[in-house]
Amino acid sequence: MQATASAPPESAQPPRSATGRYQSIETVELAQKALSSRKPFTLRLQFLIGCLIVLLFGTGVTIMLIMTTSEVGQKVHLLEIVNDYLLEIQQARRFEKNYFLYGTNLPNALENVLRAHSVLEREAESLRQTLGAAAYERVLPDINRYEDLLQRLIALKSQNLNDAQTIAEKKQIEQDLRTHGQHMLTFAETLMVKERSLLNAAIARSRGLHISGLMGLLLIIMVNSYVLGHRILGSIHRFETYAARIASGDYTPVMPARRHRDEFTNLAMAINKMLLQLESREAVLMQSHKMRAVGTLTAGVAHELNNPLNNISLTAHMMLEDYVGMDDVERRQMIEDIINETKRSKNIISNLLDFARESSAQLEPLDLAALLQDTIKLASNQVKLSKIKLEFQAAGNLPRIHADSQQLRQVFLNLILNAIDASPKGSRIQVMILPADEPNYVAVKVIDFGSGVPAHILASIFDPFFTTKGKGKGTGLGLSVSQGIVAKHGGQIRVASEEGKGSTFTVTLPITTIPAAITQQPRLQLDTRPAHD
Amino acid sequence: MSGKITVLLLDDEAIVGRRLKPALEKIGCTVEVFEDPRRALARLAEQTFHIVVTDIRMDDIDGLQVLEQVKKTSPATRVIMITGYAMMALAREAMELGAFDFIAKPFTPDDLRAVVARAAESLGLAVTSSTSE
Repeated sequence: MQATASAPPESAQPPRSATGRYQSIETVELAQKALSSRKPFTLRLQFLIGCLIVLLFGTGVTIMLIMTTSEVGQKVHLLEIVNDYLLEIQQARRFEKNYFLYGTNLPNALENVLRAHSVLEREAESLRQTLGAAAYERVLPDINRYEDLLQRLIALKSQNLNDAQTIAEKKQIEQDLRTHGQHMLTFAETLMVKERSLLNAAIARSRGLHISGLMGLLLIIMVNSYVLGHRILGSIHRFETYAARIASGDYTPVMPARRHRDEFTNLAMAINKMLLQLESREAVLMQSHKMRAVGTLTAGVAHELNNPLNNISLTAHMMLEDYVGMDDVERRQMIEDIINETKRSKNIISNLLDFARESSAQLEPLDLAALLQDTIKLASNQVKLSKIKLEFQAAGNLPRIHADSQQLRQVFLNLILNAIDASPKGSRIQVMILPADEPNYVAVKVIDFGSGVPAHILASIFDPFFTTKGKGKGTGLGLSVSQGIVAKHGGQIRVASEEGKGSTFTVTLPITTIPAAITQQPRLQLDTRPAHD
Repeated sequence: MSGKITVLLLDDEAIVGRRLKPALEKIGCTVEVFEDPRRALARLAEQTFHIVVTDIRMDDIDGLQVLEQVKKTSPATRVIMITGYAMMALAREAMELGAFDFIAKPFTPDDLRAVVARAAESLGLAVTSSTSE
């Protein structure tokens, strides 16, 4: 029943690489299997077993108590018998003494002895049991002999003979009478002492059993409650940490932490199912947020698109107007202009369309610098519209990362659009990639010199639905979604900001150190972090 | 004919100047085309034009700055703004700053010729018919 005493080391880690936690359905299935394949040992069972042990122990103690109580009863009864016997013997001897002193009371002595004898015979069974048959048999001859002697003495006395033979016989009988009387008395007194000490011992035993039985029962209940409580509280504590972890955006499924399956396993499995739901909902949220970003970008794109459109329109109109008077070179020039401007239009929208396209999460080795350049291009119309200078710097020779390009673009676009919103006209935004402070991570910094974030709301800017933008302008989901994406990639978003001076958002992402083909496999031995951290 | 109408056309899109120069010349304008707003401003400092046509959104100096500059040096010059797309706020700002009118991209050569004709008229000048050639 010591299920909680020693948790086994984590035997099955969910397949999770440093860069992705996307194999959700597979990992959740794996986790569910691992959770349910353990031997069941439910809390209910432990509770029942505890109750059963208490019941068995209680019953045992009760039976023993009944036995000792009845033993004490027997002993008391026996003591009474012995007492009766002793009284009769004592009385008989008193009469015997009277006989010797005054020559009287012989029949009374006989009466008492007979009574004592009848006590012995009446209680023969219990005496035999307690004294043992041998001791019982030893006392009988004495009392028989004593009776016999008394009767003979009475007979002699009634004959009233005073011859020498009779006197001698009387003397002999009287002597024997004393001896056997003494034997009987000694025996009765010894018996009395012995029975009393036996009774005392039985009472002491009974008391001891009462106390130890009660203590034992208490101890069993305490141990069982402790083990059960430890098990429940430990599990509750674990689930507390799961909740915190899930709230932070880490949707790694709950893996077995103990040897056995119980009610908490059902909870863990329900949480894992919930994680799948959360994951799919987050995907919807991510997509809808992306479409919002697309909406923002569309304004810039529409504006930018007007330039080639205007060029095409003007060229076509002038060509139509002057068609007759033009030479071939001029016509060719104009047609080429139209073709080029069409291409330009296509480029303006294809970037956005590419970004807006709904795509399933896909991890691939990525050149972060190229990805950022793409993202900056996507936001370029917005940057131009806001008259902001965007500077991009990338440290050379940065290793690739393993990530979902669409999702990361969404994160960086969000940060850049936020920076644009925060920046006054004519200011600049810096975007840079550099090795992060911690080894094996790269950092992307988006720095603006705009309004900054007041210190008192800095802690809440990653909360869902938290926004400083006006009604209808921000959903308050951008940073929350971004944080979710970055967390999934095993990274972090941090912010440093000073009101009135600007903000720096830093995204750190782990570097891929092994080839892509291997990262798709579960990296059991490489991932040393426990699943239930 | 009451003399040539002088027009300065400023747009950072090269094709705009390339197509509109002949289009406006057809209605009797003398057109100077600029893509760089700084050089256009330098030219405006040298000479007064009847009409300035400028794009609002350009990289270094925007059309509103050009408008202000022109209005400062020669208040009579008619300034026609080209806006990227219907940015009503910017257009309104331009009108308040003294722009003659604005025209939204994409437009046809005739759209611009009509606005230029009205601007010329307001100056007491007349354009020649484009179909007269």
